[in-house]
Amino acid sequence: MKLSNTNKKNTLSWLWLIALTVISTYVGLFLELFNSQKSLFIFIVLFIVFLKGQQIIDVFMELKQAPKFWRRLLMAYVILLPIIIGLIYLL
Amino acid sequence: MNSTLNVEADVDFVKTEDKSIVTKRLPGDLAMWFFILAELTVFAILFIGFAVSEQLNTEMFSQGKAKLHQISGLINTLTLITSSYFVALALNKMHQGLGKQSARLLLVAKLIASIYIGVKVWEYLSLFEQGIDIETNTFFTLYFLITFFHLMHVLLGMVILIFVALKAAKNEYNASNISGFESGASYWHMVDMLWIILFPLIYII
Repeated sequence: MKLSNTNKKNTLSWLWLIALTVISTYVGLFLELFNSQKSLFIFIVLFIVFLKGQQIIDVFMELKQAPKFWRRLLMAYVILLPIIIGLIYLL
Repeated sequence: MNSTLNVEADVDFVKTEDKSIVTKRLPGDLAMWFFILAELTVFAILFIGFAVSEQLNTEMFSQGKAKLHQISGLINTLTLITSSYFVALALNKMHQGLGKQSARLLLVAKLIASIYIGVKVWEYLSLFEQGIDIETNTFFTLYFLITFFHLMHVLLGMVILIFVALKAAKNEYNASNISGFESGASYWHMVDMLWIILFPLIYII
């Protein structure tokens, strides 16, 4: 069965989200092997939150094709909230 | 099949005679998007409150997180992402006028989401068995408050998807009347997006 472009985008996005979820769950164990600082771990995990949020907003919610205002509003959420949380943990 | 539906699912924009001009459309009802923004704001306050509390009680939160089952959090993330994926596929089918296929995909989405509910209930029960509840300490007060509040949103999302699936199965959506479906789908994706922030905050960091 031939997948439509929209289905292809959804499927690629889903696979990307699964991969990012597994990475964010186990990145802590990986970093421990190299005695990395917790700040690097927090930065990576929160950056992955942004990447996953962006996929959901653009592909699943289809806001990439929506008026810019709404996309920017939702994108601001997945950019600013991880930054605020990161600052709380790191400062 | 609904023959009145003439929407080409893969058209990103509504084309006009002048190709440089494209009309962008917000999927779903505007009211639903205001509701989504309100929900996101409430959760943002809870997430920030959790992070601040953790900084004030580092040792307590570290011990609390160690008692959580990280794998169950991972399973729940995967189930919500996969459920969201099937909702997106269902919306695409509805755009093609395939109501019955769309309803079937929504049913799959709900079945996958029910795994989330099962895992969450199991997680709560296993904590109760260890003598841990909402009054144990600040960490568990916030843990139960935030995760239960999110669980309520999952349940509400499932109720919305049941109504959407019933209408889709009857082919009640068409090109000029699909915003109800899009609104329900957008709400479900918001629930998914909130968990994507909640999971690392409570289980991982």
